[in-house]
Amino acid sequence: MCALNVAVIIKLEPDFSEGNVSYNPDGTLNRAETKNTLGPHSAIAAHAAFYAKVMYDAKVSIGTMGPPIADLALQQAQQISDAEELHLYSDRLFAGADTLGTAEVLKTGIGKMQGKMDIVFSGHRASDGETGQTGPQTGWKLGFTFLGNVISYSVDLETRTIRVKRLISLLGVPVVIEEVEAPLPVFISIDPTYKSSFDTISQRLSFQKYQKEASERVENYKEHFKVFNAEQLGVDKTLVGLPGSPTIVYKVEKVPKPTATRQAEMIDGSNPEQIKKVVARMKEALSAMVIK
Amino acid sequence: MTENYRHLYVVIEHIDGEFLQVSLEMIGEARRLLDEFNSKYSSNEKVVAVILGYNIKDISKQLIEYGADVVIYSDNPELKDVRNTIHTKVISQIAQDKKTLGEVEPEYASEVKRPRYMFFAADSIGRHLSSTVLTELESGLASDINKLVIEDIEMSHQQKTGGIKETYAKTLEMYRPDFSGFLWTTILCLDNRNPAFKRDYHPQACSIIPGVFEPLKRDSKKEGKIIEFIPKIDEKDLRVKVLSRKIIQSEVDFDTPRTIVSFGRGIKDDPEQNIKIVEQLAKELNAEIGITLPISKKPFSVSQALDSKYMTPDRVIGTSGHKTSAMLYIAAGVSGAMQHVWGMKDSGFVVAINPDEDAPIKNECDIFIKGRMEDVIPMLIEEIKKQIHIIEA
Repeated sequence: MCALNVAVIIKLEPDFSEGNVSYNPDGTLNRAETKNTLGPHSAIAAHAAFYAKVMYDAKVSIGTMGPPIADLALQQAQQISDAEELHLYSDRLFAGADTLGTAEVLKTGIGKMQGKMDIVFSGHRASDGETGQTGPQTGWKLGFTFLGNVISYSVDLETRTIRVKRLISLLGVPVVIEEVEAPLPVFISIDPTYKSSFDTISQRLSFQKYQKEASERVENYKEHFKVFNAEQLGVDKTLVGLPGSPTIVYKVEKVPKPTATRQAEMIDGSNPEQIKKVVARMKEALSAMVIK
Repeated sequence: MTENYRHLYVVIEHIDGEFLQVSLEMIGEARRLLDEFNSKYSSNEKVVAVILGYNIKDISKQLIEYGADVVIYSDNPELKDVRNTIHTKVISQIAQDKKTLGEVEPEYASEVKRPRYMFFAADSIGRHLSSTVLTELESGLASDINKLVIEDIEMSHQQKTGGIKETYAKTLEMYRPDFSGFLWTTILCLDNRNPAFKRDYHPQACSIIPGVFEPLKRDSKKEGKIIEFIPKIDEKDLRVKVLSRKIIQSEVDFDTPRTIVSFGRGIKDDPEQNIKIVEQLAKELNAEIGITLPISKKPFSVSQALDSKYMTPDRVIGTSGHKTSAMLYIAAGVSGAMQHVWGMKDSGFVVAINPDEDAPIKNECDIFIKGRMEDVIPMLIEEIKKQIHIIEA
């Protein structure tokens, strides 16, 4: 039996890297032309799970809700985390869900994973939706203690407790790092600045061993991969998809062009005389500074 | 008509009794919305500030002075630090407590069950707290809102109404800018009236971007009602122990420097080299370097050193990051999406460098240098060396 069971919930998202992303002339995302990939925050969550693998020999499971092509994200996350269990929750009934309807599916899916979960990780937020709600909502539905903005963690396997550092950044007050302790199980939403560090030789050896194992598993990922539809999950159909979603997108509109707040003076960037003038104006603007 | 949902609850954030600015901004916006609402519907619904903490009774009155009609406070040593579980439980209790709801507006005590609307801050505290509270209350939540309107909405929706035309009165239209900053999505939280799966979804809740709305002027003469709520605290909700809290100095400082140089996707033709010339320009002006939100998503591959130093969320200027009022703001290769503009519009003097004359940033700058950053910045640096000598403080 594994000392620790961890799960990660991930998301397939538009790939915002140059060459893969496509924007419409008006600056909006061209979804049809944009490729998909494992979301960057999901990737960080997978790294955090891999840390548990290296440090505590944890068993890693991954779950995602999405269309069949979302198995791409599962494979990418498996490569990072050496997961031995990959779940795709996919059903037309789930389509159009808001974060609450999504959390219901993920909660039910996590319940179908092998072993009782000790830690569930999610990314900070998705790059496309950007709500950051699905993680904490899933955690609350699981009845787990929720810990957000986590930048590092350590587990005490004896006492079954976790210590985490959280980055709390609020507008207008200094940034605070808060250290807290909680008994397992917990749900962690991982901060974008999280980085695993492996300091000892034995940790580095485990790191290499499990990285190799991850590559082998990805090659045979179908052996680890399982798809669940609504029936197989046994979800309450009124709590998922559109019926289980309190919110709807009512309309999407272009942000109206604001009236000009400043009257810009046009400068030809190839004309050194004009650039000279710009710098003189900049100097004027900074005149309250100490300038000699 | 019986109305089970009334009032607008605002969840207040504070650090040891000092209100975060966003709390006062939310009350300001709540006041404006409800004044209009009450006059339009000949109603008398209240702005209710909800505050949890320890030794906070005395500051509750200030929330009235900033625009709330009613304050509900819970004062308990266990509520001193914000811990998600216990805070979620207590806020959810307050939102459903019949007695407290009755005290807010006694004439409707028998019918009101929950708040109609609920506001949280979209920050490190409110983002998660709103998520867990609304899961506990099993209702809807929209995040990162920067515009709010209350309307009667007539609609026919396959799922929500079963395809029949229905009027959703007093619906909160919650506007959120998308990640590009060019699209506005309006989110509604609506009851399911479809006979196949009828269900009420109230309160209609959202998290609000800090810095967007204006707080009201404090009026020390304003009167209101202050209600204490004694929470039911279950030991198992206190399992998180706060061991320490340390203030850290962020490596990025947008408050002290007089000048900020920001870059956006305009670095695309040679990202590595262009970030380096931005670095040089910033060095000449003793400036801090900012970025736009898309850059924090690491759209370009550059050397590890530049990637980890600059393509990070803590450098974002805009609604998803920082707001600055630098004396001089230089936007290089920045298109000027709404969310970025919000973060820089209070700057003193704004210079934009962009090859595209139609870029929205043109409306937000004092000087628009038409040209590619790789051509313009070296010329600027040359000239700055001749004209400006900054003595570091």
